[in-house]
Amino acid sequence: MSLLRRLYFGQTHFDFVGRRRWWFALSAVLVLISALALGIRGLNLSVDFVGGSLVECDNPAGASVADVRNALTGIGQSAARVQLSGGGAGVRVQTGELTEEAQDQLIATVAAVAGVTDLNQVSYQTVGPTFGRQVTESAVRALVVFLIVVAVFLWWRLEWRMALIALLEVLHDLVLTAGIYSLVGFEVTPATVIAVLTILGYSLYDTVVVFDKVHENVAERGERHTISALVNMSVNQVLMRSINTSLTTLLPVGSLLFVGSLLLGATTLREFALGLFVGVAAGTYSSMFLGSPLVAVWKEREEHWQRIRRRLGRKGAEDEFAARELEVLPEEEAAAVLPTATGAVPRPPRKRRRHR
Amino acid sequence: MSRRAALITLLVTVTVAWGSLIVTQSLGTTPRLGLDLQGGLSVLLEAPPGTDPEVLDKAVEIMRRRIEALGRVQEPEIAVTGLRSIEVQLPGVTDPDRALEAVGTIGQLAFRPVLEVSQFGASPLLLDAIEYEQATTTTTTTSTTTPGDATTTTVAGETTTTVAGETTTTTTETTTTTAAPELPDLTPVLPPGITICDPDQDLALQPGCVDGTTAITLSDDPTKEAWLADPDTGEIFHLAPAQVLGSDLADAEAGFIQQGASGTGVPFGVSTGGVGQWVVMLDFNSEGAVKFQEVTKELASYSLGDPRRRFAIVLDAVVQSAPQMDEEVSPEEGIAGGRAVITMGTAGTPEQAARDLAVVLRYGALPVVFSQPTVESISATLGSDSLRAGLIAGLGGLALVAVALLLYYRALGLIAVVGLTVFGSLVLTVFALLGQYQGVSLTLAGVAGIIVSIGITSDSYIVYYERIKEDVRAGRSMRAAIDHAFRRAFRTMLTADTVSLAAAVLLFILAVGSVKGFALALGIATVIDLLVAFFFTRPAVALAGFTRWGEGGRFSIRGAAGAAKEAVVLPGEAGK
Repeated sequence: MSLLRRLYFGQTHFDFVGRRRWWFALSAVLVLISALALGIRGLNLSVDFVGGSLVECDNPAGASVADVRNALTGIGQSAARVQLSGGGAGVRVQTGELTEEAQDQLIATVAAVAGVTDLNQVSYQTVGPTFGRQVTESAVRALVVFLIVVAVFLWWRLEWRMALIALLEVLHDLVLTAGIYSLVGFEVTPATVIAVLTILGYSLYDTVVVFDKVHENVAERGERHTISALVNMSVNQVLMRSINTSLTTLLPVGSLLFVGSLLLGATTLREFALGLFVGVAAGTYSSMFLGSPLVAVWKEREEHWQRIRRRLGRKGAEDEFAARELEVLPEEEAAAVLPTATGAVPRPPRKRRRHR
Repeated sequence: MSRRAALITLLVTVTVAWGSLIVTQSLGTTPRLGLDLQGGLSVLLEAPPGTDPEVLDKAVEIMRRRIEALGRVQEPEIAVTGLRSIEVQLPGVTDPDRALEAVGTIGQLAFRPVLEVSQFGASPLLLDAIEYEQATTTTTTTSTTTPGDATTTTVAGETTTTVAGETTTTTTETTTTTAAPELPDLTPVLPPGITICDPDQDLALQPGCVDGTTAITLSDDPTKEAWLADPDTGEIFHLAPAQVLGSDLADAEAGFIQQGASGTGVPFGVSTGGVGQWVVMLDFNSEGAVKFQEVTKELASYSLGDPRRRFAIVLDAVVQSAPQMDEEVSPEEGIAGGRAVITMGTAGTPEQAARDLAVVLRYGALPVVFSQPTVESISATLGSDSLRAGLIAGLGGLALVAVALLLYYRALGLIAVVGLTVFGSLVLTVFALLGQYQGVSLTLAGVAGIIVSIGITSDSYIVYYERIKEDVRAGRSMRAAIDHAFRRAFRTMLTADTVSLAAAVLLFILAVGSVKGFALALGIATVIDLLVAFFFTRPAVALAGFTRWGEGGRFSIRGAAGAAKEAVVLPGEAGK
């Protein structure tokens, strides 16, 4: 049975907990790289955070970046950042803070180079230096309150260890996303902040689904397996869901990304989609490869699970990894191995008649 | 779930979802588009710390009036956000500079002596012009006297007698019928320094100008005469240049004068003395006190009932109140000491009137200087481009997800695809209704939120379907698996959606600007997701379980769940 087939029918048994050292090491390296990137390169903050002016308009004249830059040097704005958007169909110019006259001059110059005659067709944005700080502050405040509320909720709904690990995962995902933004040099805009907040939601959502499954499996067959085995079993059970959810999330996000980079006016969408893409991937990874093994490791130290491990050990049942046990519990072991062996699931006769 | 219950629930849900979308769309209730999707101007104004919230409300009121005066702005949104910020959203504004000026400059408070009052909803200047025209026509027809310059002196004001007022009243009565068709020419009666506004030019460059047809001052200049209205009473005043300005005022406060308490100043309102009434107490600074005394001396020299005994309080070209000097105020002394009281009388709601007037005065005394931390002007083309991009991305994403679900879950995938349309219909309807009745607009961030929620809602299906597959593989019967899996999956959805919803609610409360729009869309979509799961997915899957879709071939639930051998055999059998 191929890997794809086993994935499709949810009959995988990857040992997530057993290879935890590899995953922990991988996460540690990624976090370290991200932290270094953040420390050394920093983030490329948009005009909303640092203050300044942003001018954006159509580009019927098909001006190149160099054309615009030359024109801007003529009015003493050589430090401006010039970008083409929508595959050259639009122009974006970002400068530091300007006086009103300088801004009018900037708008007129950009419009002239880009071939826009009606100045009202030029979009612009000016942001004072304190505004971005306010946005950031309000976002960070929202973030902290949100995390506290979620932690309390998870504590109540599951248990405090899982709540703590869920927060750790969120932190991990955030650092990785920020690190990638820093490394690649994506611009951080308010849309990015939104994307990051969404990532938090996804990351937690994913974690909750996995932990919920662990919780359920513990309740259903807690005495028969070690916690590591139960966690492994749970992650394998939700593996397909995780992959599918990431896929159905990444499809619309990919669509945003594609449309955003092709069409003018969708730069917000693109910035949003980039952040989301990275974050969703990190969230899926961390809930399966980081959070779940952590739960297993931590709970393995508890008296209750130690006792179960000892008891199982006395019985000679070595089941560090019980995903196989799951296959034995239902009647399907044979069906999984031998595709020809039908019989496991009784087929209603009605349907056969129909096909004759 | 029984077959009957499932069928009824399913039909009701689908009818409600699609029906409400069709009804709202055919009634023209479409989601209201945010500024970033239709173009326009967005400004955030920030007042200095410690600004009185009431004064902030007053500022909003002034801005709203000015924006309405600009015209051509559909549904401006001007609202106080946070502690001391005002968010101004002007969709479809084509001239950002004028709009910026309208919201960015400060309303000026001035005390102007009244020269004339007209009760007829027509400017005294207009009446003068009509009178002048009549006089000149009389001159041409009957060649009798009444030269034009006599009328102009009436307008100039200060020294004329009350007869001027009487003549105007009589002339209006006679001329309303005759002169109505063609508007009189204001030019001959205009006092020196006053022009007729040129609508093609910036009003700020024509200080003191009057409108050519209504003869109301459009560009208020405190150093020039003005013709302004009090919208509450309908009176239109001819006012002298301002004698006292808002900057001369130190403070103002509304209060109730108890029986027997001694007044804190000399009343200059209605002449009942102020005891047992609502009043506004004014406190002038030393410079203002001197000016105020001078003016009140002059005003008090006119007899009671003469309009020129009144002192108009004008804020941003609107007469807020025009109290008369009390009879106690003597022409020799005026109101001295820098303190005065305006008595509100007993008619209407004097308490409210007093409080409102106090706010007006305080606003004028300490004008709020707003900083503009952010200004954003989005051209209409960029807005429509964004909308198009959002729609394409949304539809494209939806189509891709639909294909993926169909390929993967087969019959169940088909249910999920129909479910996505139910979900989409409900989200659109909710936004259409919110836009219509709550003024909530859909921004680009909101569109992004909805696109993201496509992922969340397909996840609900995936959680459920994976459970069904698992239960079927574990040997449960199809129907038992469907019911059991839903109970389990719904618990997971509830937990996960609670987290999403908590995030949305908190973001909505705590964040500003575009993040808020995103949070709203996410929250709405999360709630709708749960509703769709319970009222659509559950009955739809239950029904499918009763049909061939449950136990059929490759396309069925069983086929997707992993009894693959059956599916492989069947086509061969069918070929026999």
